[in-house]
Amino acid sequence: MGLLSIIRKIKRKEKEIRILMVGLDNSGKTTIVLRINGEDTSVVSPTLGFNIKTLTYQKYTLNIWDVGGQKTIRSYWRNYFEQTDGLVWVVDSSDLRRLDDCKMELDNLLKEERLSGSSLLILANKQDIKGALTPQEIAKVLNLEAMDKTRHWNIVGCSAYTGEGLLKGFDWLVQDIASRIYVLD
Amino acid sequence: MENEPPNPTQEEALDSDPALQKKHQSMLDRLTHRHQSRLDTTLTRRAAADSSDPSPSFESTSAFLSRFSTSKSSVDSQLDQCRLTDPAHLKPHLDQISASISDLEKLVAENSYFLPSYEVRSSLKTISDLRQTLENLSAELLPKKKFSFRNKGAKKTEPKEKENEKEPEKMEFIVPASPGIWNKKGETLVRKFQCSEVGEFTISDLDSCEVRLMGSVRALFVHRLRNCRVYTGPVTGSVLIEGVEECVFVMASHQIRIHNAKRCDFYLRVRSRPIIEDSCGVRFAPYCLSYNGIEEELRETSLDEETENWANVDDFLWLRAVQSPNWSVLPENERVGLIDISSSQES
Repeated sequence: MGLLSIIRKIKRKEKEIRILMVGLDNSGKTTIVLRINGEDTSVVSPTLGFNIKTLTYQKYTLNIWDVGGQKTIRSYWRNYFEQTDGLVWVVDSSDLRRLDDCKMELDNLLKEERLSGSSLLILANKQDIKGALTPQEIAKVLNLEAMDKTRHWNIVGCSAYTGEGLLKGFDWLVQDIASRIYVLD
Repeated sequence: MENEPPNPTQEEALDSDPALQKKHQSMLDRLTHRHQSRLDTTLTRRAAADSSDPSPSFESTSAFLSRFSTSKSSVDSQLDQCRLTDPAHLKPHLDQISASISDLEKLVAENSYFLPSYEVRSSLKTISDLRQTLENLSAELLPKKKFSFRNKGAKKTEPKEKENEKEPEKMEFIVPASPGIWNKKGETLVRKFQCSEVGEFTISDLDSCEVRLMGSVRALFVHRLRNCRVYTGPVTGSVLIEGVEECVFVMASHQIRIHNAKRCDFYLRVRSRPIIEDSCGVRFAPYCLSYNGIEEELRETSLDEETENWANVDDFLWLRAVQSPNWSVLPENERVGLIDISSSQES
């Protein structure tokens, strides 16, 4: 507990929140980050490696780690697990065929001990595309109800294309993390 | 009190103040009454102990143990009955067992003041074991129905269970069927989309076919194609290609991802860098499709400009600076010319 309290103290001083964005390739992670940062999203190449964005959100500083989702680089996700306060799992709601891949990767991720204390936001992205599954349907497919009871989680439908739902999701995530880490404020 | 002496001692106050005197008396009464009632309960308890156990000792450990074991065996038998109980009555039955266990706990607590600490510990252990058994039982018997139901629902959506042509089973749970072309062999398939009519479109499990998509779609999924030619108008979102062999693709899109492609040619117009993964023998060239209205469609979707990105391929399995051996630029003399599909009739 000694180390944990030191980390908490440091974080409280800096009001810094570390967020890890993961999900299958083509789910829209980079576009989401660019969108909430108000950047141009018209040209986005598939992420080879990772991007870091630091932005101020409410009174907190968010460090967003956007890690590429291609199959060959998923094994590197674990290099980013340390000290993650918030986990964002992005789902391409229109990619029906790979939903089982998506569920498998998420299940593997949640087994990770280093992520056990982090809040989980699931973004059911691409809601603007006709034929996309609703967040409720995604929750059913991913069997979120069966998740470990101690995990703080939420699923929000969004569209990185229109920007809809993104603020709602990040509001929840930041509030949830802040109430956990900065309880003394 | 108004006429109280200036500094009275307590006795003086008691003697002189009738109100205080009265209070003192009632306190004494209460104390004697409590003493009496305590004596009474001890007597009755002793009587109870004597009647249930012939042993002469007062508040005996063995009396407690025998009562405890009787109650425990009754809880045990109740637990055993659980499996035979009608599911409708299961909940009240389980609640009742839980109440019995609580009674048992109370019994231990009441008697703990004279029991040897070993007995207290072991009986508390017994109680927690009973609780555990009850919990396991109720977890097993009660919500199980819900669980298996949910599992069934989830399984339906697993596309893994695709068998030959019968795959729309997963779609039962989801929205109707997503628009697309599946399981064809040796056919020419033509689709014309009005703007913004189609969201995502899937091309899957085709052998030796020609696919012509005119008009724009939001997202395109291509899966398991052999020996096919695929010509598409603008895709405003992304194209995801997986498991293709000996095919030719002519596509325009904002993003293109290619997985598990072998010996394929791609003629692309793409705003970002195309990527390949687990692929080999793939070649790239610029977009070369024509049909009535394609220029306007490309302009509307910001794909009219030649970005030269068709040659900026990222190979996720080749992170070195030198050219990846898995892909190459298609030599000009081997490229197909402009492909005009204007005259196609929708099939």
